[in-house]
Amino acid sequence: MARVYSPGALSAEQIFATGMRDQWHAVCPSDWVERGAIRKLERLGEQWVLYRQSDGRVRMLADRCPHRGAPLSQGMHLGDRIACQYHGVQVGSDGTVLSVPGMPGCNLEGKKLVRSLPVQEVGGAILAWFGTDPDVEPAPLQIPDPLAADDVSAFLCYVEWDAPWRFGLENLLDPMHGAFLHHESHSMFGGAQSARFRIRETDRGFFFEKTDQRGVNFDWVEFNRTGVDWVDLEIPYPSTAGPGGPFGIVGMVTPIDADRSAVFFWRYRRVTGWERDVWRFLYRTTLEDRHWAVLEQDRVMLEHMAHDADQAENLYQHDLGVIRLRRMYKNQAEEQAKALTDA
Amino acid sequence: MSLYLVQNQSRTADPTPYESKLAKAIEQVFGDGGHSLEALVDGLNEIGIHSPDGSPWSQDSLTAEMARLEQSVNGGR
Repeated sequence: MARVYSPGALSAEQIFATGMRDQWHAVCPSDWVERGAIRKLERLGEQWVLYRQSDGRVRMLADRCPHRGAPLSQGMHLGDRIACQYHGVQVGSDGTVLSVPGMPGCNLEGKKLVRSLPVQEVGGAILAWFGTDPDVEPAPLQIPDPLAADDVSAFLCYVEWDAPWRFGLENLLDPMHGAFLHHESHSMFGGAQSARFRIRETDRGFFFEKTDQRGVNFDWVEFNRTGVDWVDLEIPYPSTAGPGGPFGIVGMVTPIDADRSAVFFWRYRRVTGWERDVWRFLYRTTLEDRHWAVLEQDRVMLEHMAHDADQAENLYQHDLGVIRLRRMYKNQAEEQAKALTDA
Repeated sequence: MSLYLVQNQSRTADPTPYESKLAKAIEQVFGDGGHSLEALVDGLNEIGIHSPDGSPWSQDSLTAEMARLEQSVNGGR
């Protein structure tokens, strides 16, 4: 019988550590996979190969030849398929073995033996559906509104951190750190260093926001589940950044493995016409470096936290967003682990 | 495997001396409170930063130059 590799029945702990399944995750910037290129990546603790076909479409397969398990990412791009470098076995975009040159007519041919993930490109990034059942259609992906709006201009900043994905996401659900960690920055020097927060439900997630201050610092964040998990937040610019008001961030954090994460920050602003062009010019020449200094403050903090930092915390009112997020993911990990065991 | 950590992702080369000087002057005008196109043109001309052909900025020439300079890579839109 033909065998298809799968990670098997993951435990709830493994799912919590390496990321939720049955949803879309951002994988990498689009320009990491040029036409005709092959790229190896680790995401959610598994090895993948991405390639862009000659027709421009991106494909994502498990990085494992169905013959002897060699990495397909070492193989050759043949326009619409990859030929394994080890014995020449050709695998198509949906994971079907198209040819076994060493033994023509071999019964592997025509069988779908490699996991293939549905992919979409959004805002200059490749997103993939990490389903547990290859026969189940992916859920619809609703694009984060700022990335689809005509009056919004955005730049993707992509980084990889030596910190668990949950630290990155929890950091975004914790607006209060802006007034402390980022106090010495171009955008978060103002505002009070104490606050009361509230959770406000929406039909796709929730807001976690200060009740007593808005538009002064990092004062609110919206967590959204629209097929992909993402946050939206807003931070004021100083007057030197010109017209257009605050900048926003659409943020996604994808697990590379249990210990490392891929961070996607689309920095955006509601600007059109000359205001858009001037902001983009300033972003490229001066603002990107200042945004970077802020992002580095986050990275250094999160990378230096113990991996079990969340095992003996003493939380207070400002941490309700984090608590809510954790509870949601822990429950989901339990449910997914149970479904995998039952399957 | 080393982790990807690249500071400048929106440009493929460092700004030219002209771009750096212009950006600094624009920030100065904005910082002084002038956020309209008119205020920006006047502010740049007062500082003495001229358009590429050496003449004072007009609203048209500044708009055109900004449209030329905003081009970017990696997810920009």
